[in-house]
Parts: sequence; structure tokens; C-alpha cells
Amino acid sequence: MKTIRFSPERVSIIARNTLLEAVRQKLFSFLVLISLGMILSSTFFRDFNFGSGELKFITDFGFGAITFFGSILAIVATAQLFFSEIENRTALTILAKPVFRSEFIFGKFFGVFLVLLFFCAIMAVSLAGVLYWREGELTREIPDAFADGRLVAYGDIFIFVFLQWLKFGILAAITMVIASFSNTNLYSVVMSFFILIICHLQYLARDAWEALGVLPVKLAVGLLGLIFPNFQLFNLGDQIALGERLPGELALRVALYGLVYILVFNAVAIYSFRKREI
Amino acid sequence: MATSPSSKPPAIRIEGLTKDFALTLRGLKLRAVDNLDLTVKENQVFGLLGPNGSGKSTTIKVILGLLEPTFGSCEIFGIPSNNVRSRMDVGYLPEAPYFYRYLNGEELVRFYGRICQVPKDRLEDRVAEVLEWVGLKDAARRRVGTYSKGMLQRVGLAQALVHDPRLILLDEPTAGVDPVGSAEISELILKLKDAGKTILLCSHLLAQVEGICDEIAILNRGRLVLEGDLKSLVSERHRNAVMVENLPAGLEKELGAWLEAKGARLVGIETPRTTLDRIFLEHIGYRKEQGSSRQVDENIARSDAGKPEAS
Amino acid sequence: MLVLAGLLTRPIEAPAWHQLREREPALNLDRIEGALGQGVTVALLGGFRAMVANFIWLRANHHWERYDRPATTALIHLTTAVDPRPLYFWLNGARMIAYDMPNWRYDDLGGIENVPRDVRREIEREQSGIAFALLDNALEFHPDNPSIYIDKANIAQRRIEDLELAVEYYRQAALQPDAPFYAARIYAELLRRLDRHREAYEWLVELYPRLPPDNDAAMAPVVLGRIRDLEDHLGIPPGERYQPPARARPGVPEMLVP
Ligand SMILES: Nc1ncnc2c1ncn2[C@@H]1O[C@H](COP(=O)(O)OP(=O)(O)O)[C@@H](O)[C@H]1O
Ligand SMILES: [Mg+2]
Repeated sequence: MKTIRFSPERVSIIARNTLLEAVRQKLFSFLVLISLGMILSSTFFRDFNFGSGELKFITDFGFGAITFFGSILAIVATAQLFFSEIENRTALTILAKPVFRSEFIFGKFFGVFLVLLFFCAIMAVSLAGVLYWREGELTREIPDAFADGRLVAYGDIFIFVFLQWLKFGILAAITMVIASFSNTNLYSVVMSFFILIICHLQYLARDAWEALGVLPVKLAVGLLGLIFPNFQLFNLGDQIALGERLPGELALRVALYGLVYILVFNAVAIYSFRKREI
Repeated sequence: MATSPSSKPPAIRIEGLTKDFALTLRGLKLRAVDNLDLTVKENQVFGLLGPNGSGKSTTIKVILGLLEPTFGSCEIFGIPSNNVRSRMDVGYLPEAPYFYRYLNGEELVRFYGRICQVPKDRLEDRVAEVLEWVGLKDAARRRVGTYSKGMLQRVGLAQALVHDPRLILLDEPTAGVDPVGSAEISELILKLKDAGKTILLCSHLLAQVEGICDEIAILNRGRLVLEGDLKSLVSERHRNAVMVENLPAGLEKELGAWLEAKGARLVGIETPRTTLDRIFLEHIGYRKEQGSSRQVDENIARSDAGKPEAS
Repeated sequence: MLVLAGLLTRPIEAPAWHQLREREPALNLDRIEGALGQGVTVALLGGFRAMVANFIWLRANHHWERYDRPATTALIHLTTAVDPRPLYFWLNGARMIAYDMPNWRYDDLGGIENVPRDVRREIEREQSGIAFALLDNALEFHPDNPSIYIDKANIAQRRIEDLELAVEYYRQAALQPDAPFYAARIYAELLRRLDRHREAYEWLVELYPRLPPDNDAAMAPVVLGRIRDLEDHLGIPPGERYQPPARARPGVPEMLVP
């Protein structure tokens, strides 16, 4: 009798198809264009004397655009790509084949993760390009400020964007969890944005935890801090823009943290999708 | 396994299948399939018939493991439906199929072929083969988004067949397809049978099914109301359909009188395809008279009872 | 499962988070919330702090171009409250307050020629006071940063022409670990101008041996020249004059060093 095992190949076929679908969607190009527009437009704000601070401004602006539109992309694209399979009943034909539900979820996830990688790569390269160009110009205009050579830590920019990519991955996996049991695209998107905010604010709850006296409240708040990942951990961009070098160990820890959560949320999504009625 | 080692397991075995859909969180349920027993033997065309909403698609989805049965069990070639392995030998054409619009026909069938792990060296040949087989050779490089309904059914058939499965489940394959197209699809189904395949065909268009099914089962409100060999079912009612070519106008009365003289009665003159429609409708009517709308009444009663609590 | 994940990742997360928290000054929400809407507050918490600060800074500059003193001042303070990390918000803000705003105030009073000298002094003292307060605030976030002391010293020297104060600030600047070499030189120079020659001399003598010989910015020969000038002025007898320690210079044999 033939047997069947989890197949990374099937995952990759589904992932590639998901990527293809995403790239054909207007959302992706729209977000890429608007983010690129923001990065480029940041170079127009130089009618006052920012000096080398202008580079920080461009960096902040670029990081902000990547974080903001990347989060939107992670949530909306995941929900959209997932529900397009459900609503168009293409999930029906895929899952009627010898395909594990876990392969479907992983396939969808890695498809979105690839989309996000493309987004991050395009953004990182454009931002670095704009910075490199302005830095060159400013070096000619005010050589004193650049006496020690180039100011922008280009390597750190790519590390930062890489970590953002992992954060978007967690966000996509969270959206996948919600989509795996919810019935509508809109609900998933709204819930995911809500959780995104919680993940950004959970540290406040943890800070408050120490001060809390009442035990049930303390437990609840502690649980909140444990359930939701800490997204503030990925806010390393400000440091980089200030010209501080990113400690390698810190980046490594954050990356590991991101990877663990990506896996955990995927596992939860698979668990919840296992019994879903298609 | 339950089957005795001597007998090969049937293509599909459904035992005591019941499927409830929760309509509200408060526990209001809709019974889409009600205690269904069905066996589909190998190498036949089995027609699963019934009006819209009678539970045909639901049954198919349970067979494919897309839905979990509330009670009962399903097996494909002896492997339980909740096992992914059971899907290795099944092709499925969903109701009103819709595919990735941005792929062309060839890419689409290739995609499903790869999902089914058709060996790489055979894949291209196989894709070309099934596309030609369903008559989409010329449209293979066109995007699926530009396909007509009939072409979508065909490409759906092609993806169902790409991995050469032994069992093929077709959910309303001729819905929305013009008569010529549906006749062609019927022909394809017969060819599949000749190739040794087993076909489960769902339809509410009984006329089209009649010519190709070996066995049928009729569902109404999720219950099996009739099952059996098509030919014997049609002749079961002590009736005979006489097929006449070129019956001249005005001859009906003469014919009727002649038959009456012989002790028979001319019930009506119809084209043969309505015969099945009629049996079917009679059964539905019969069931209704027996008060089989009980379940709906129950639901209404339940929802009424729920109201004061809710507000 | 998620709780488990939270527990398991704590050992990875906690040190990183701790490290990050130390570099990140706390958000002073009380000060910000009144001035900005809820939406902006969420943006701040969501990691858009630097960007929000940039935009407020842009607004501040917009008002600066229109000589709007209250708006500019308020926005400078808001910018630094939102993101106290970039030094140039503090420094440039203080410069606008101390150097530009007094001129706007003269214009309000009918032009600099029509403002009596003592009123001018009063205005300059007032504006400089605001700038000093801002820079003192900056020191809370950037302790040991010599640029802040240097800017304070500059304002004291140029704007209110208070050399005593300027000297004090230059001294503090020069004492910071990363102080530029010129801070220590200017400190001595200002001491000299205040007729505090002895102090200047002792400062320079103490400074000289710490100057790296192979760094142009350190200007070791110039410092030695100043020491000699001061010795002349103070009338220090040749026998008691400062003897620079013999130092090995790269490539120069020790015995050849003067
Ligand atoms: N996912 C679902 N949720 C709730 N009710 C459903 C769902 N799918 C089908 N039904 C209901 O189950 C009944 C049977 O549907 P179906 O199997 O699609 O009928 P058929 O295919 O025979 O037309 C219908 O009343 C339908 O409304
Ligand atoms: Mg149906």
C-alpha cells in the first residue's frame, strides 16, 4: 500500500503559487509603490539645515514606512490570500488531493513570507540607495561632518529590515491563526490589527505586573505578557538611525525569538485549521 | 480493516453518515445528511441525485475528508476518509469550480499534477494528455480567467484526472454548461468508465444523468429516498416507455384508444428523459406527504423557543 | 501552547529586552498625551517615535521660518519630549531659542535700533535662560555629552557675554570623557582673558602631557606655546618652568625628543 508523508515539495508548490497570486494582486504593488514614494519623498525635506541629521531623518522615515506598510501587507495579504482560497473554493480542490492540512497552512505561510521578503528586500535596497546618494552629496557639501568617513551603518540597515521581516512573519502567522478559524476576511484583518497593537503594548502590562497587588489581576496580566509576543523588541531602528551600532548578540536573540514565534503560531494555525470545514 | 480479505473493498463505503451544520452559536443545527448508508462498487457510474440542498455536495465533501462527519464513517477503497492517504486515488471536480485566474490551463493542470506528485518525467506528457482528452488542447495556453463556464468544467475535469485516479467524484459537472457541452462531458464520463474508473456523479439535472448512470441514489433533505440499479428503477412501476420516431400529429388519440382496447392505458406521451424526472418527483411528493418536513418544523420550534432567552 | 512558548522564549527575550530598554528612554506619556492625539500616542508606542519626532521638528521649523516664537518654542520642547535621543533636536532647538528668538523680539519692539540696551539685555538673558534649561534637560538624557556643555558655553559667551559662566561651562565640557581638544584650550584662553592666568597656566600644564602627539586636532605644540606665553606673563623663572615629559614618538629615537 502506498504511504504518504509530509512533503516539503508540496509546501513549496503551494507557497510559490501563493507568491504568484500575491504579486498579481494590486495590494502588493500598491504598498511597494507607496513605501518607495515615502522613502524618496523623505529627501525633499531639506529646506532647513539638517546637515548630517538629514540622513537620520531619511532613515527614520524609511524605517517608518517599512514598518507601517509591511505590517499592513503582512496582515492584509495573509488574510486575503487565505480567504481567496476558501471563497473561490480552490482550497477545496487542493485539500481534496493528497495534501495535509499542515502542508496547506505552511504553503500559504511561506508564500506570504516570501512576499514579505520581496517587500523588505525592495525597501531595504531603495532606502540604502537613497541614503548612499544623499550621503555622497552631503559629503561634498559639508565635508567636516563626514571627516570620519561614511556615517550610515548600511549593514545595520539590512539587519534591521531582516528583523522586521521576521516580525512581519510572526504577524502573518498570527493572522493565519485567526483566519484558520474565522469566517470572514474583514474579521481576520481587524482582529489581527488588534493583536498587533496588543503585541506592541504588552510590555506596558509587564511593567505594571510588578506593581499589581491583587493576585487574579496579576495572573491575568502575567498571562497576557506570556501569550503575546513582545513586538517592541523589534524596534531597533531608532538606535541604528542614531548612528549607534547594533550589538550582534542582541540582533541574534531577537531573530531567534522571532523564529520561535513564527513556528509556534504556525503550529497553532495548523492545529486550528485541522478540523476546519472547507 | 473491516472488509474480509477475500473481497476487494468497494470504491466508496458510507455507513450511518450524519452531518449537522451549526447554524448559530446557540446550538441551532441543520441536518444536511441524515443517516446515509451507501456503497459504490468499483467500475460503475453512480448517480447521486436530489434537489438543491438535499445534501449531495455535503456527502461528497465528507467522502473527501473536507468535512468531518457528525456521526458515521466513510471509506475510499477501504481507507477512512480522515486519512490523507485515502485521497491518493481520488479525483474531484467541485461544484461550480473556480481556479486561479492568472494561470493558463496548462499551468493550472501542471500545478495540480505537482501537488499530486505525478512523477516529473511523466508530468508534461500527462498534462498534455488530459488537456487533449477534455478537449482543451487549443485553449491550454489561455488564462483560466478567460474561460467560459463549460471550459472551467473541462479544466476542472482535467485537474481531477491528472494523477490518473481510480475514483472520480464529479459534483454537478454539467451545471451551467450548454447541451452540447454537457453531452460531451457525458461522453467523457462513459469513456472513463470504459477505462476502468469508478465515477460518482452528483446532479440535479436528472435527464443528463439518466443515460450514463449504472446505479443511482436519490437524496431528499439529507435522507436516502431511493437507491438501486437505474434500469430496474425505471421499469419498477409497471410502466413502459415506448420510443417512437416521427410520431405523426393527431395519432395520440388513436394510439390511446388502441392501447385501451388491449387493456393497457396510455398515461401520456413524453420524451423519454422526463421519465426519471417523474419517478423522482413522485418520490419527493410521497415523502412530503409522509410528513418528512419534521426536521424543519423542529428547527422553527427551536428557534422560537430560543428567542425570549436571547433578548 | 502560547503560554508555553512565552515561557520558553523568556530566556531568549528577557536579556535582549533588558538591553533594549536601557538604550530606550521611557516615553513620558503624561507630557505628550495632552499635546498630541490618541492616534499619535499609539503611533509612538508602535515604534514610530523617531518619525513622529521628525514631523514635530518639521512643524517647529515651519513656525521658525515664520518667526512664531510661542509655537516654535512649544514644538521644540515637544520634539525633545517625544524623542530625546537625537542630540541635534536639543542643540538646534537651544540655538533657535537663544540666538534667533531675541532678534524676533527686537523686531516686535520696532527693530533692534529702537530697543534700549537694558531691555535688550533682559530679552537676551531671558531667552538664554530658556535655552540653558532645555540643555540641562538634555543632560539628563545625554550625561557626559561635551557638545551640550559647549553649546551652553557658547550661548553664555556670545549671547549674554557672561565670560564667567562661559568659563565654567567650558571647564565642564573639557572634563567630559569624549571632550574635543579645543574645549580645554578655549577654557584656558577664557581664563586668561578673565585675568586668571595662574589657573590657566596650571590647567594647561596639567593638560599637556595628556595630549596625543600624533593628533593634529590636539595641537600639542600650540598648547606648549601658550604655556610658555603664560610663564612669560607670570614671570616664572627659567628653572621652574614646565618641563614636558620625554615621550617616545613613533619613529623618533627617545634621545632626540626635546
Ligand atoms: N457550510 C455550511 N454551513 C451551513 N449549512 C450548510 C453548509 N453547507 C451546506 N449547508 C446546507 O446543507 C444543506 C445541503 O447542502 P448541499 O450538500 O450543498 O446540497 P446539494 O449539493 O444537494 O445541493 C443545504 O441546506 C445547505 O444550505
Ligand atoms: Mg451541491
